[in-house]
Amino acid sequence: MKSEVKVGDNRLQISRLFDAPRDLVFAYWKEVDRLQQWWGCKDTTKVDCTMDFRVGGFFVCVMQITGAGEFSYKGQYDEIVEPAKIAYHADFGPTTTRVVVEFFEQGAQTKMVLTQAGFPGQSICETVSQGTKESFDKLDSLLASQALERVS
Amino acid sequence: MVNKEEKVTAVFAALADPTRRRIVQRLSGQGEIRVTALAKPFHISLPAISRHLRVLESARLIKRQRHGREHLIRSHAAGLEAAQNWIAQCAAGWESGFDTLDELLKTAQQKEKTR
Repeated sequence: MKSEVKVGDNRLQISRLFDAPRDLVFAYWKEVDRLQQWWGCKDTTKVDCTMDFRVGGFFVCVMQITGAGEFSYKGQYDEIVEPAKIAYHADFGPTTTRVVVEFFEQGAQTKMVLTQAGFPGQSICETVSQGTKESFDKLDSLLASQALERVS
Repeated sequence: MVNKEEKVTAVFAALADPTRRRIVQRLSGQGEIRVTALAKPFHISLPAISRHLRVLESARLIKRQRHGREHLIRSHAAGLEAAQNWIAQCAAGWESGFDTLDELLKTAQQKEKTR
């Protein structure tokens, strides 16, 4: 897997090292023309965003997803520290989640750490983690197999 | 697709309540338990527990078996699957976006170099 994925403690954390300077990686979150090029899953055919990139500003992204139709993703920026951090909350699927993206310089590269928290109420992860270990292993292998699918 | 989404919503809504989360946690790793026994540590009325159980039942997080007047409750771990898949999809969604971003960053830098 190119990214490191951690699930637990009521959050999902994905870290990835990009071979690019921090300002440039940040620009792909800040500028609408750049953001539209990569947001959405692999079945997304078109992304149309309007965004007001400042604290308190809103963004709306409408995605066309093959097999699922139109999906709209709306959020509000809570914190922006250029070029180190962006925090927002958004309606994603059935619940509101909080997303924090941090950008760390590592020589000429940039480590981007995305943390998505606030799955329903306090947590689904918490409940899941106290459930069967079996189900967690399944989630792990699911994540791993999906990663493999994309790599191959 | 719609059914799946509804299922996830029901699971998330059911688990949004702390009492219901504690019920699910208490049931996991246990066999069947009587409703009265289950209610004891929660210090809330039996009708209140019944309401919570109905929500959990419709989200398919628990199963109920009736023996005459007695209702036996047990956890139904498979009910969590829809929600787990949803989280996995979230991760997979970001990951595929990051793949695209990776390519874009490479192209952007190459353009700058050849300028």
